[in-house]
Amino acid sequence: MAQQFEKALSPIPPRESVYGVTPSCVTDRAADLPGMVFLKTKDLFPEMPEVFWPPENPQEMDRVTREALKDVDMSKIKPGDSVNLLASHHGWTILGGGPYTQMLKTLKDVITERTGCTDIRLRAGVGLRFRETEEYIKRFGLDEYFGKGKARGIAPIDEGIPIETEIGTLYGLKRAYDATWIVHTHNSDVREIHFHRHVDRAVKPFSMSYARIESRSTYHQNLGPRGANFTARSIFNSEFVQSKWAFACFFVPTPAGVMGVTANNDLYALNREVTKINMSTYGKMMTLLGKLDSAIAVLDFCCPVPYVFCGGVIYANFCSANIDLLDLDQPLPSYTWYTESYYDEDEKPLLPETPPMNPAIKACVVNYAWVGYPSVFWAKHTPTIIVGEDHAKLFREDSQNIEFPDYAKEIVPDLNTAMQHAYEMAKTDKVILFDGAAGGINCSESLAEELMAKAPAVSKEVDSTLMPKWLKQRGLA
Amino acid sequence: MRIITTQATVDPAICTGCRTCEKVCPTESIKIGDDKKAHVNKETCSGCGNCESRCPVYAIKLEPLPEQKVIGVDWTKAPKQEVIDLCKKAHFHPEAVICYCTGTRAREIAASILLGAGTPEEISRQTGVRTGCTVECIQPILRLLQAAGVDPGKAPGWQWYGLTPTNWDLSDEIVTNPDHKKFYFQADRELMDRVTDAKEGGK
Repeated sequence: MAQQFEKALSPIPPRESVYGVTPSCVTDRAADLPGMVFLKTKDLFPEMPEVFWPPENPQEMDRVTREALKDVDMSKIKPGDSVNLLASHHGWTILGGGPYTQMLKTLKDVITERTGCTDIRLRAGVGLRFRETEEYIKRFGLDEYFGKGKARGIAPIDEGIPIETEIGTLYGLKRAYDATWIVHTHNSDVREIHFHRHVDRAVKPFSMSYARIESRSTYHQNLGPRGANFTARSIFNSEFVQSKWAFACFFVPTPAGVMGVTANNDLYALNREVTKINMSTYGKMMTLLGKLDSAIAVLDFCCPVPYVFCGGVIYANFCSANIDLLDLDQPLPSYTWYTESYYDEDEKPLLPETPPMNPAIKACVVNYAWVGYPSVFWAKHTPTIIVGEDHAKLFREDSQNIEFPDYAKEIVPDLNTAMQHAYEMAKTDKVILFDGAAGGINCSESLAEELMAKAPAVSKEVDSTLMPKWLKQRGLA
Repeated sequence: MRIITTQATVDPAICTGCRTCEKVCPTESIKIGDDKKAHVNKETCSGCGNCESRCPVYAIKLEPLPEQKVIGVDWTKAPKQEVIDLCKKAHFHPEAVICYCTGTRAREIAASILLGAGTPEEISRQTGVRTGCTVECIQPILRLLQAAGVDPGKAPGWQWYGLTPTNWDLSDEIVTNPDHKKFYFQADRELMDRVTDAKEGGK
């Protein structure tokens, strides 16, 4: 008997932002298309760790954050000191942003309760959308919660400071470090695994959200596709950063939902903890998606093209799912900036072994996505359909994406037309929606059935073969 | 080559003359005038949006241009072998894309330098490189300038601070440290060298 699936979850409404189209332009959502269902991660992988629900409940998030902070040593922080909570934009894209917001609020409260310190600031870093965290600070009332002028967005082009490291001078953002102490607050999901390859994943923001352009460019252009995250390690290990280091507090999502919060004075211990969690959770979801032969991807979320996600996995990871991103013996992901730079002017790879963008993606429909990340490579390498001239105009006027519409196959007026064309182009009825669904995946029933059929073997393969290899490569076996 | 579709405009009624825009502009196209207000040089503004997105009082907007403009340096105007040699000296394949927003390849930057550009800002004005996200390609530009023996001096503001280490600069102590095995430094270096030396594929 065919399995019964739940109706697809409704995604969060489009967000008002300088990086997206006006919300009223997003008239149809892919989750409402006929035949779309919600496939729970727990149905695919019943062994996934327990999650708490509803994570949107501020009291519950406050409770788990306080619990995580119980054993953290805050004795360095004195009443007259200042503390910067260093945050990153992505936390606000998970489950609508409420859980991450509450973690930050609770952190502020607990530090004051435990140390008597009242000068606590929020410094929220960004990717390549320099106003993004300013928007979140306002939307979630963090400017009021932290007090006038104490919650600020920081961008990689802001004033910098040199940081002497074991590999030479790198550069951080002056405002990130303008307090006596820093607390590293982040989210543990794998996210840009194509960049960090899950080597020191928890350390990465020291070379990104809190770093100047010089350090980011070192990461993406100078050290190599697997060595890149040594940039972060070098900055974090520097005498300067260590002189300000207090502790880390991470929001811990998995493809099944939110596990909770973890905190530690030892960032590398926290990194080991989340690495193992992620390999056994995201590792399974990514491996499963890599088993698909054919699918239409629909992007329908308030993030740039690579960062829209489903079941915790971002679209960029699906684009590289034809290789094992956790296997460090694989030098190049299908997508990373090193890979992208290694294509000649005829769009042929300079090295024959360069893996192509996931050939299982037969068509990509952009129903709703933000600008502010260079995405032309995607349109060049996957057949792309843009929904709405407003969307196309947004991309054309974004300095990072001017040619994105030029490389799209077509721009169509509405989602239904886009899907008709995608079905014809892709010759499959299997559809996966990157619409921010948490705890599972919105997809077509046919795709849900295929994923359910393949999941048990993937689970076994990860547990018995892949996990031991992944851990060994990172010295964690 | 860079297509330009927007340019910055300043609302003088809001501008406070704080100079943040000046310090973040990669093409030095916005300056505070004697009137203590920001003014945009429409000839050189590429519409990257740095000034707009860092202005603390939201006085700057990006406006669509009635007709798009195109800027760039024809790399074939520089001596071909010198372009290739300069790229390789900086560890880049001449066709390697070094700016993911504009698609600018290493050879265009090399040609710009060989034809006389001496600073990242001048290179950006000529080629459009680093006028998309304005973040990720600063090191390749500085590496190519260094390889050409050109000292760019100091940036006029916060546009850039300096060269940073590359894989080729790492000490043996770093590369061979057993704790660093997971970073695959040597294997990545070999990979990048193979890319640099790969046969030229394009036209």
